[in-house]
Amino acid sequence: MSHTKDNLPKEEQVHITSYKDHFSTLIALLLLTVITVVISVFGANLRSLSVFTALLIATVKVIVVAYYFMHLKYDKKVYTWLVLIVAILFVSFAVLTSIEYLNR
Amino acid sequence: MTSTALNLNYLQAKKGIFSWIFSVDHKRIGLLYLYSLITFFLVGATLGVLMRLELLNPGKDLFEAQTYNQIFTMHGVIMIFLFIIPSIPAVFGNFFLPIMLGTDDVSFPRLNLLSWWIYIIGAIMALSTLLFGDGPADTGWTFYVPYSVKTGTNVTMSVLAAFVLGFSSILTGLNFIVTIHRLKTPGMTFLKMPLFAWALYATSWIQLLATPVIGITLLMIVAERVFGVGLFDPSIGGDPILYQHLFWIYSHPAVYIMALPAFGIISELLPTFSNRTIFGYKAIAFSSLAIAFVGYFVWGHHMFTSGMSGLARIIYSIMTFLVAIPTAIKVFNWVATLYKGSIDVQPPLLYGLGFIFQFMIGGLSGLVLGALATDIHLHDTYFVVGHFHYVMFGGTGFAFFGALHYWYPKIWGRMYNKLVANIAFFILFIGFNLLYFPMMIAGLMGMPRRYYDYLPEFHLPNMISTYGSWVLAIGLLLMLGNLIAGFRRKHEKIARNPWGTGITLEWQTLSPPPVANFDRMPVLPKDGPYDYDHKPEIKE
Ligand code: HEM
Ligand SMILES: [Cu+2]
Repeated sequence: MSHTKDNLPKEEQVHITSYKDHFSTLIALLLLTVITVVISVFGANLRSLSVFTALLIATVKVIVVAYYFMHLKYDKKVYTWLVLIVAILFVSFAVLTSIEYLNR
Repeated sequence: MTSTALNLNYLQAKKGIFSWIFSVDHKRIGLLYLYSLITFFLVGATLGVLMRLELLNPGKDLFEAQTYNQIFTMHGVIMIFLFIIPSIPAVFGNFFLPIMLGTDDVSFPRLNLLSWWIYIIGAIMALSTLLFGDGPADTGWTFYVPYSVKTGTNVTMSVLAAFVLGFSSILTGLNFIVTIHRLKTPGMTFLKMPLFAWALYATSWIQLLATPVIGITLLMIVAERVFGVGLFDPSIGGDPILYQHLFWIYSHPAVYIMALPAFGIISELLPTFSNRTIFGYKAIAFSSLAIAFVGYFVWGHHMFTSGMSGLARIIYSIMTFLVAIPTAIKVFNWVATLYKGSIDVQPPLLYGLGFIFQFMIGGLSGLVLGALATDIHLHDTYFVVGHFHYVMFGGTGFAFFGALHYWYPKIWGRMYNKLVANIAFFILFIGFNLLYFPMMIAGLMGMPRRYYDYLPEFHLPNMISTYGSWVLAIGLLLMLGNLIAGFRRKHEKIARNPWGTGITLEWQTLSPPPVANFDRMPVLPKDGPYDYDHKPEIKE
């Protein structure tokens, strides 16, 4: 459940996240951590995919944290865009550099 | 506040050195930056002239090879990190962005003061290598590994200085972004902002997003030098080319930190001195953003000869050519603005036209370097030295001087001698081109950069270049002398709109502006910032 303070102007409205949302997010994060550990310790034999898998799970966690804990979900859309642009930039730095390295 | 206190201008408001170095007034902070920047510029220029003196004739004349290496490194570090990167945003952005947006300060005035202090601390660190440690770095301003890890000179301190200076740049960028989002005067939307504000907006995003990359990269050098961490040294598992990637991921976008604000200045000068609206407002505004964005993906063009992969070289070369499109859009729009305008050739416009001419030479020679095949021959020759001086000095440097002449009456409520200013411009212009055009020719002949000596066959272009440096030095001194002499000239009170045709909001307030920037509410032109058909009447 979520509340907004209706007496404030639209710009200043604050969203207060419920305990339920907080706890579900926490549990989701813990579950993902468990999965990471399970995969690496009881090693499904992933070989070169193991780094990829770890990064994938980490990315999901980042999104969950940014979305719920850091309030992106309830903020203006422009902030989501800003975060996306930064993420795209970072990923393209990594991808371009890797393309170079792997083709040397 | 009483009405007299309200109308006190920002120069008179408080007295004493502390009222300046601890001021949170964006106008005073802009001037603090101006005076520090000019000082460092003069130091850097002196080093440049000294290098040219060594290169007047073949053979060793003034310096040992090692000293020469330290001089060009110091020259590069000073000019890049202490002069050209902060230049237009820190001085004119600070002073005029809030006024052009019709507000009374930036969003975070104290953070703004902190930026200046961080800048000064970084500058002291950079210059301290002259006195302490094992001498200033001799790596070139790019600090390439593996040499920067091995050399005995004080690379650690120079690199830390650049790291600290980065924070100053980030904080200024952050401040401008928030100011532009939050503090525009009522009625001013993004599409009613002056183009200088647009240019600063695009620049600020680069400062904010790219500078952290160089910060961490420079710390990696320190980690490798001091703790022997194997980041770049292949014998302990590192990769030297990784350094070049990380360095240029910042330093290419940094080229746009230098260039975009200059584009913004030109977009202000042209309407004022053609007395007509800017041609293609939206095209100019959005091409800044496009340049900022595409500029992130071209860094590899500095590394074509590093031994990087062939596929990557092709990708980077293509991407580089893409940046030329939004840049050309700007130039065409500027020229179209002049077309059928009623052009008034005042000193600031001369610098604006000088900018367009020299920036075109710089930009087009950049395409020669961006093309994979030709760069293989020209990389690390004097062609490159000519090219980047045309862009940074002939471009941004001239735009900086143009801005100084344009806003001089607004900033100080004084006027310089225009005839002398015109003469100084032509001396500078001739000196500049004499100094750098022969460098490009020497480069095409095959003369490598970063050497204190050269083969006799390169003598002629080097001789001309050194003569050019003397002409340029005279032009610089005349220009600065004229501006300083202007402080004491006697004349009538400077009007609010001394050029008569200025249309952005700073021309509606007093010259110099009062502490709170405006003595009465600024009025926006009806259809956008350059709507000369509905130019608000300005009463004294
Ligand atoms: C009085 C004006 C100037 C003169 C005479 C001058 C001269 C020179 C010369 C001769 C070199 C080449 C050194 C070599 O490769 O052996 C050089 C390098 C350089 N200059 Fe200038 N310059 C001047 C102004 C500027 C300005 C205004 C900037 C920047 C805005 C600048 C930025 C640089 C940079 C970044 C380098 C490269 C340093 C390196 O190789 O690490 N210079 N300059
Ligand atoms: Cu570049």
